[in-house]
Amino acid sequence: MGKPDSEFLNQNCLWAEFVCPPFLKRPTENKRGIQLFSSTPVREYTYGKNESAIASPGMVALLAIAVHGPLLLMQLPAFAAGSQTQMFLAKHYANDWFGLWNSHWFGGFSQTTSAPLTQQVVALLSHVFGITAAYMVTQLAVVVLLALAVYRFARVWTGERTAPIAGIGSIFLGSLALLVYRDGALPATAGTALAIFGASFLYGFARGNEMLSLVKAVLLLIAAACCDSMTAVYGILLFALPTLWLASADSTDEEYGERRSTAATFIRGVIVLAVCAVVSGFILAPFWSSVFHSSHRLLAPDETAGNFLLQGSTALRYWIVPFGFMILALPYLFLSGFAARRTRALFLAFYVALIVGLGATTPVAKYLLGGFENALSVELFTFWATLLALPLVAVLVIELVARYQQRAVVLVWVAAVLTFAAPLAWMTYHPSTENRFRTDYIANFLNRDNHAQFRYLTLGFGSQFAEVASRTNASTVDGIGNGMLPEAREFGVSHLDNAKAYGSAGMEALRAVLKHANQYGLKFIFVRDRYYEPLIAFAGWRQVEAYENGNVTLWSKEDVPPARDLQTHQTLPGIERTLWGVVPLLCLILALLLMIATPERDEEVETMALPPTGTDPIRAQEAI
Amino acid sequence: MKTSAAIAFTVILIILIGLGTAPHAESHTKSGTAEAAVHAFFDHVKAHDWDDAYAMVNPGDGVSKESFIRDIAGNNGSLKTISSIQKVDTKTLNDSGSEANVRADLQWSTAVGAVHETRDFKLTNSGGDWKLDWSAPQQVPTAADAKPVQTNYLRWDIVQSGASSNEWGVANAEPPRTRIISMNAVDYNGSVVIMGEVVNEDTVPGFVTINADLIGQDGNSLAQESSFDKISHTLLPKEVSPFRIDFPGRKLAEVKSVRISPTNLLVPASADPLVGVFDQHIEKDATGKAVLRGQLTNQSGLVVNIPHVLATFYDKSGKVIWVSDGYLDQALKPNQQVPFAVDLRDDLANQVQNYRVTVNYYNSSRS
Repeated sequence: MGKPDSEFLNQNCLWAEFVCPPFLKRPTENKRGIQLFSSTPVREYTYGKNESAIASPGMVALLAIAVHGPLLLMQLPAFAAGSQTQMFLAKHYANDWFGLWNSHWFGGFSQTTSAPLTQQVVALLSHVFGITAAYMVTQLAVVVLLALAVYRFARVWTGERTAPIAGIGSIFLGSLALLVYRDGALPATAGTALAIFGASFLYGFARGNEMLSLVKAVLLLIAAACCDSMTAVYGILLFALPTLWLASADSTDEEYGERRSTAATFIRGVIVLAVCAVVSGFILAPFWSSVFHSSHRLLAPDETAGNFLLQGSTALRYWIVPFGFMILALPYLFLSGFAARRTRALFLAFYVALIVGLGATTPVAKYLLGGFENALSVELFTFWATLLALPLVAVLVIELVARYQQRAVVLVWVAAVLTFAAPLAWMTYHPSTENRFRTDYIANFLNRDNHAQFRYLTLGFGSQFAEVASRTNASTVDGIGNGMLPEAREFGVSHLDNAKAYGSAGMEALRAVLKHANQYGLKFIFVRDRYYEPLIAFAGWRQVEAYENGNVTLWSKEDVPPARDLQTHQTLPGIERTLWGVVPLLCLILALLLMIATPERDEEVETMALPPTGTDPIRAQEAI
Repeated sequence: MKTSAAIAFTVILIILIGLGTAPHAESHTKSGTAEAAVHAFFDHVKAHDWDDAYAMVNPGDGVSKESFIRDIAGNNGSLKTISSIQKVDTKTLNDSGSEANVRADLQWSTAVGAVHETRDFKLTNSGGDWKLDWSAPQQVPTAADAKPVQTNYLRWDIVQSGASSNEWGVANAEPPRTRIISMNAVDYNGSVVIMGEVVNEDTVPGFVTINADLIGQDGNSLAQESSFDKISHTLLPKEVSPFRIDFPGRKLAEVKSVRISPTNLLVPASADPLVGVFDQHIEKDATGKAVLRGQLTNQSGLVVNIPHVLATFYDKSGKVIWVSDGYLDQALKPNQQVPFAVDLRDDLANQVQNYRVTVNYYNSSRS
């Protein structure tokens, strides 16, 4: 049997020495490529260095910019609840980087109740672009980083050929679109991108003992932890542990480098993770302190993902739309993911993320997430599940293309585009803020005639609550996050603007806070939901102004004295403030500089001559 | 290996989904008892599933589906229209197999806070399905049934002297003269309760809020609270309103004095709507608690969306010994009577010599 002129891929081959599926071998392990004869042959083009890849990392990055750039330039996520909160917190860093006491929410709260890195980046860029554009630029950079991180991650798991497909796939993920454009989850997406990068460098260190990889992994994982608490607790482990398992599995295989001890490889990686956890825990000590000392919080119905089997709309919102056409790949993932030795851990991580992403449909999320269980957490796990699935989905795509050629290419592209388009369409029909209104009237009122010396409250503003807060100098007794007034803490209600969603606990919390309006200097209440009017009318407020054709009304109480300091001001020690203000950003900048300055050397791929493409028939030979 | 692993993971996933879903399914299938039927009924009410809720009732005379929905979901902007059932606790009073009486303690989440209600339901078992007997609401229509009536009541408006004063109230005008005419302080349920009455002695309406400051034995302030919603804030000339201020977690023994600071403001007001109170009497409710019951009649032309009843109880010396309040979940249409009931402390029921009911209100059309 002679050597074929071109390479063929087919998982149904009968040649035992070319173990199926072929993606399990990296290009370096067989520099001649995988040579198969099949009844349904497809030529694999290997024109030279890296030309077996569909796209280079640069092209993947450009595609990410091309797809997400216009949407972010249109500032699509500008009014998502998460993005407004991020911009509000970033604005404080922009004004006072090391002054961590923010007097605008909860009558005063510490910025350390939220992981700082993405807010600090936005704050830094806001001096150039302005706060909203800075947010969009940061988010775009994160999307690009994520695509590159997935590219690199997939290369570790399933090889050079799958990496660009996985990277491109990450750009079109429905789960990413929902997080970016509907939830404004910049910290979670940024943390995930950095964690994936960190995990892939961890492989380099654990398996190859590369010191540069160690430095990059440590810096990236610390930066990831400083972005988002969920990523710090769960995300890093979900991506890093399978990668360490892979490094251990590869440690005895000389095709992946010098032979090493399996246990030592794993332990080395675990030590790096432990060091990262200790360092990031030290940097974020004030944050973790606030998390562990925070009171029990009730979740509003829109903050929980119910049982997908019993609530069709929830299933659509939290599972079907985020997965998109990737749902069709689930049978393949289950069949191939665990069967192949190298992808076993990857599949298990995907499986765990998939189950937790089902939220209340299974009891797992409740036990695993504990106090972190909410809709965004569930969404985040689904996001991670889709990311973890991408290397395997990329293999499926290669196999489909190998079998069905152009038809498969077209269908895969259509599936990818529809998967990305579905969440955007969903957002159009289910906007997070219905009937948006102008908040400048409100900000102008609060900023004039010494009105800012009193505190204010908004009711029914939804995601525009943070928009008002970021535009005015006045302080509110409400807020988003772990902070709570003592009166609201008793009922576990963290966000008074949405009090009615918490049921009687929410309204009782609102009553309790309004009862102490004089102590808090709470004079002004802006009402956008008439549901709240009876309570504030009976409590002694009177309507004084109306905006937006009466849709927003201002209520005032006359006997309220100007707000005074609630004496809850907490000043962190200088060392903690310095660590908080400097180290996260330093880690990120150093990691990015190192990655740019020391790019990975591409694997050398043996080139082989191919007959001209186009009209030349592909020579096929039946496998024997 | 390949297929068996996939099957194993799929089976585990299905089992987990089953474990997550079974408790919900269980709660939906729990039926067969009268109590379960009441729970199921309120599940439908909570979901605003009026068809299924109506299917679970035996409608009495004059109860159509529309009137049932009006009864259970409220109408005319009443408190019930902005309420949702939060919690249902049931207790079977008697069950003969074909008929049962179930007492339901209902907790509603309303726009003015949590509201508790105790209702007794009679259920009939028809073909294995329990149905709630539903009678028409106890609303007593009068001759001019539910028609807006043009009235000629007094109205006080404030003429602004200049465009600069465009906020509510007139800060630069002399506030109306108000006076606290009685005051009492008691310990109750681990709280210090300050109560009394305030009168507007002026000839113009005023907006009154009472703030109180407990002064400790060392002369320092212990706590500050306000009358909040336990007062009728808008007082017409010569009108009297009770007030009550609660200081949770305080004891009278640690209080040296109380500093009361009423705040008055001149406001525009109208004597319309006027709500009459009839048939007031103290009695025991189904649970044996003392309550003050009566009928409210809207004697004017505007619908009162949310009436708020404030009851002042006096002892034989004329001292205010208790102030209690309650929100009505029905709207008051013109010339229509609606029953009300407010709680009275059982230990004070024997001491009450006299009582007076004041009706405060919220109108959704009022700005």
